[in-house]
Amino acid sequence: MRIVIAEDTVLLREGLAGLLEDAGHEVVARVGDAQALLAVVAEHEPDLAVVDVRMPPEYSDEGMRAAAEIRRGHPGTAVLVLSQHVETRHALELVSAGGGFGYLLKHRVLDVDDFLDAARRVAEGGSALDPEVVATLVSPPAHEDTLGELTPREQEVLALMAEGRTNAAIAKRLWLTERTVETHVRSILGKLGLPISGDDHRRVLAVLTYLRASAV
Amino acid sequence: MVKFALLHKNESVRIAPRLIAWGLALAAIALIAGGLVLDRIAAEQHVPGSGSFWLYPFLLAAVSAPAVVGAPVVARHPHNPIGWILVLGALSLAAVLAATPYAWVALYAHPGSLPGGSWAALVSSLWPAFFAWPLAVAFVFPDGRLPSPRWRPYAIFAACSVTFLVVLLVLADQLEEPFSDVPNPFPVRLPEALGFLRLPVWLAMFASLFVGAAAARVRYKRSQGVERLQLLWFAYAVGLIPLGVVFFLLWGLIFGGNGDAVVGFLLGMEAAVAIAVGVAVTRYRLYEIDRLINRTLVYTVVTVALGLLYAIVSLLAGVALGRGSTWVTGLAVLAVALAFGPLRSRAQAAVDWRFDRLRYEGIRRVRAFVDDVREGRREPEEIGAVLAAALRDPSAELLFRLPASDAYADRFGAVLVEPADDERAMTKVEHRGQEIGLLRHKRSLLVHPDLLRGVLGAASLAIEIARLRVEVRLQLAEVEESRARVVRAGYEERRRLERDLHDGAQQRLVTLGIVLRRLQRSLPREARILGPALDSAVDEIGLAIEDLRTIAAGVRPPRLDEGLAAALADLARGAPIPVELEATHQRLPEQVEAAAYFVVCEAVTNAVKHGSPSRVRVEASVAHGELRLVVADDGVGGATVAKGTGLMGLTDRVLAQGGTLRVHSPRGAGTRIEAEIPCES
Repeated sequence: MRIVIAEDTVLLREGLAGLLEDAGHEVVARVGDAQALLAVVAEHEPDLAVVDVRMPPEYSDEGMRAAAEIRRGHPGTAVLVLSQHVETRHALELVSAGGGFGYLLKHRVLDVDDFLDAARRVAEGGSALDPEVVATLVSPPAHEDTLGELTPREQEVLALMAEGRTNAAIAKRLWLTERTVETHVRSILGKLGLPISGDDHRRVLAVLTYLRASAV
Repeated sequence: MVKFALLHKNESVRIAPRLIAWGLALAAIALIAGGLVLDRIAAEQHVPGSGSFWLYPFLLAAVSAPAVVGAPVVARHPHNPIGWILVLGALSLAAVLAATPYAWVALYAHPGSLPGGSWAALVSSLWPAFFAWPLAVAFVFPDGRLPSPRWRPYAIFAACSVTFLVVLLVLADQLEEPFSDVPNPFPVRLPEALGFLRLPVWLAMFASLFVGAAAARVRYKRSQGVERLQLLWFAYAVGLIPLGVVFFLLWGLIFGGNGDAVVGFLLGMEAAVAIAVGVAVTRYRLYEIDRLINRTLVYTVVTVALGLLYAIVSLLAGVALGRGSTWVTGLAVLAVALAFGPLRSRAQAAVDWRFDRLRYEGIRRVRAFVDDVREGRREPEEIGAVLAAALRDPSAELLFRLPASDAYADRFGAVLVEPADDERAMTKVEHRGQEIGLLRHKRSLLVHPDLLRGVLGAASLAIEIARLRVEVRLQLAEVEESRARVVRAGYEERRRLERDLHDGAQQRLVTLGIVLRRLQRSLPREARILGPALDSAVDEIGLAIEDLRTIAAGVRPPRLDEGLAAALADLARGAPIPVELEATHQRLPEQVEAAAYFVVCEAVTNAVKHGSPSRVRVEASVAHGELRLVVADDGVGGATVAKGTGLMGLTDRVLAQGGTLRVHSPRGAGTRIEAEIPCES
C-alpha cells in the first residue's frame, strides 16, 4: 500500500512510518499539517492517509476536516484518522458516509496487528471505528428499549460489527466459529429490523446508521 | 443672581442698621399720623383745603408702604441701598405731607400755637420729594447698582435735576400752593439773573422721570428667570411715574391747578412702587424674607392660641377649684406646655398650607413615602419618582452619590462618573454635611429654593438608605463578577491542562510504545525470548496512557466539545451505579456547559459517596432562557450545604454563573439537587 502520514509530532510520525514500513507498506510522504497533507494526497494519490486530528495551526480538528475533504476529492484515497481522545460527531458522520474511513484512538497503534488490520480494511474500502466510540453508541441508557432485547453475546458481536470488523475477525476475536458469528449477526439484524446482507461493509453501514439514528 | 449670592454672604445682621431703619420707618408713620391729626384740627377751623377725608388712606399708604417694605430689607441687607432709599423716601414724603397741615394749624387755624409755621410751609412746597425716591429705586432696583456703567451719566443727570429743583424751590420768591401768599422764611433768594434756569430744571426733572422708567424697563428686558419675575411688577409700577407726570400736566392744562385727584394719584403711585418692591421681595423671595414672615405668622398664631388656651383653662379651673388656687395656674401652665409642641407643628403646617401650598404638599408626600419605606410597603429606591411628583417636575432625576467612589449612580446602579450637562439645573442633596446625591430638575424650580430645600430635607433619609443599598448592590455585582471571572479562568485552566496531558505526555507514551513495538518486531529469531518482556512493557505503557486519559477526563472531559449531553452520557456510562440520563441536545455557551457538567459530576459523585443510592436520575433541560439541572437519588438523604461539603463547591459553581441551587434532602428519603443556570441561548 502507498501511504501518506500527517502528524505534527516528529518522533511519533517517524514511529508510525517505521511501523507501516516494517509491515511492508510504502510511506510516500510524511507531513506535519493539514495543508501539506492535501498537497501530497493530490500529488501522490495514495491508497491510505494516516492523519492526526489535532494539527497546526489551531490544534483543534484540522485533521478531521482534511479527512472529509480527501474523501470528497479523492475517492481512491482512504483515510485513517488518529485521535488523542474520543470525538464522535465527525467520526460517525464520515464512517457512515461510506467505506474508506477509519477513526481510532492513537494508543490503539500499540496493538500493532489490530492497527495494521484496521489500516488494510480501511484502504480496501471498509471501515474502522474505535471501540470507545462504539461504546457511546451501544451504551444501555441510549437503547434500553431495542438493544435490551439482544443477548450479552449478541451485544458483543454488535459492538465488533460496529467497529467495522468482518465476520472472520469477529469469530477470531470471540473464539467462535464463523458460522456461529453468522447466526448471531442474522439474529441481531433481525431484532433491529435491518436488511440481511452478505456484504460486510454494507452491513456495518446499516448497523451504524441505525445506532446513530437512535443515539447521540 | 450672582449679586444676590454676594449679598447673602453678609448674613450676620448687625443690630444698629436694623434699629435705625425701623426707627426711621416708625418716625415716618408717626409723622404722617401726626399730620392727619393736625389736618383734623385745621378742618375744625374750616381752613380751606383741609379735611379731605378720602385722601387719608392714600396718605397713610404712600408713607407706610415704603417704610414697612424698606425697614426689613435694611435689617436683612444693610449694604443694599434699596432698603435705605425706601425708608428715607417714606420719611421725606411724610415730612412734606405732614408739613402742610402743620402750616395750616400754625398759620391759619390757631396762629401762634405752633412754632415755625412759615418753615413748614416751605417744606410743604418741596414736591420733588414725591418723585425722588421712586426715581432712585428705579435706577438701582434690585441689586443696588445701576443696570450698567453706561447709565451713570443718566443717573447723575437725574440726581442733579432733582437737587437743583429743590434748591430753586427753597430759594424761590414765592412758595408753592396752597401757601403762595406766605413769605418764604429762607433768607437767601435766587438772583434775578438766574431766573431763566427755572424752566430748564423743571424740564430736566421731568425728563429724568422718563429716564428712570426706561432704566427699569431695560433691566426687565435683560433679566431672565427669577429676576424677570421679580422685576415684572416693579417695571410696571415705575412706568406709572411718567404716566403720573403726563396726568399731572394734562390736569393742569384742562382744569388749572393741582386738584386733590392729582395728589391722590401721585400718592397711589408711591404706594404702588413700594408694593411692587414688596411683591418682588416676598412673592419671589428676593431677599428671603418670606421665611421670616412665615415664622412670624406661625409664632403669632401659636402665641394667640396658647394665650386663649391659658385663659380658657384658667377660667374653667377657676370655676371648678375656686379662684386664686395655685392649682389653677399650675393646670393652665401644664396645658400650655403640653399644647405647645403639637400646636406649633399644626400652626406651621397650617401656615405652610395657606401660604406655600406646593411646599406643604411636597413635604407631606415625601413624608408619607418615608413612612411607607419604614413600614416596608415601598422600596427606598423609588424616592426619585416620589421627588419628581412632590416637585411637580416629571423631568426631575435623582442620582445617588456612591460612598466608595466619587461617582453617581441611578437607582438601577448604572454608574455615571460625570453627569452629562443638559438644560436642567442641578441641586446637591446633603445629609449631615455629606453629599448623598444630586437632583437634576427643571430650572424654574430654582425660583422656589424653599420648596427644594424642604422636600429634599424630608427625603434625605430615604435617599441615604437608597444610595447605600445601591452601593451594596453594585459591590455585590462586582464580587459576583469577579467570582465568575475566577471560575471562568478555572475552566480555561482545565482546558489547557487537558490539552497538555493529551498532546504532551500521552503522545510521548504512545511514541515510546511504538518504538518498543518496532524493536520487538525487528528482534532476530534468537532474541524472541525478549518478546513477553516487551509485551508487558507496552502493556504497562498502555495502562499509563489509560491513567492519563482518566486524569485528563477528570480535568475536563473532551466530549464537552460535543455538548453537555455527550459529556453527561460519558459520565453516566462511567458511573459505578446506574444513572438515568435525560439531557437536552441543545448547545449552550461553553461556560454554562462546563459549569453544568461539573455540577452534575460533583452531585453524582457526592451521591455515590455519601448517599449509597441504588440509582441516580439526571435531568438537564432548557426553558425560559435557563438551564435546569436535576440530580436525584434514592439514597439516605440528609445532605446539607455546609462549608467543606461537596455541595458547597457545587453552590459556588452555580452562583458564579448567576444561577440558583436548591438541595432537598430529607433524612431517609434520598437527595434531590436542583439548579438553574441562566443561558442566553
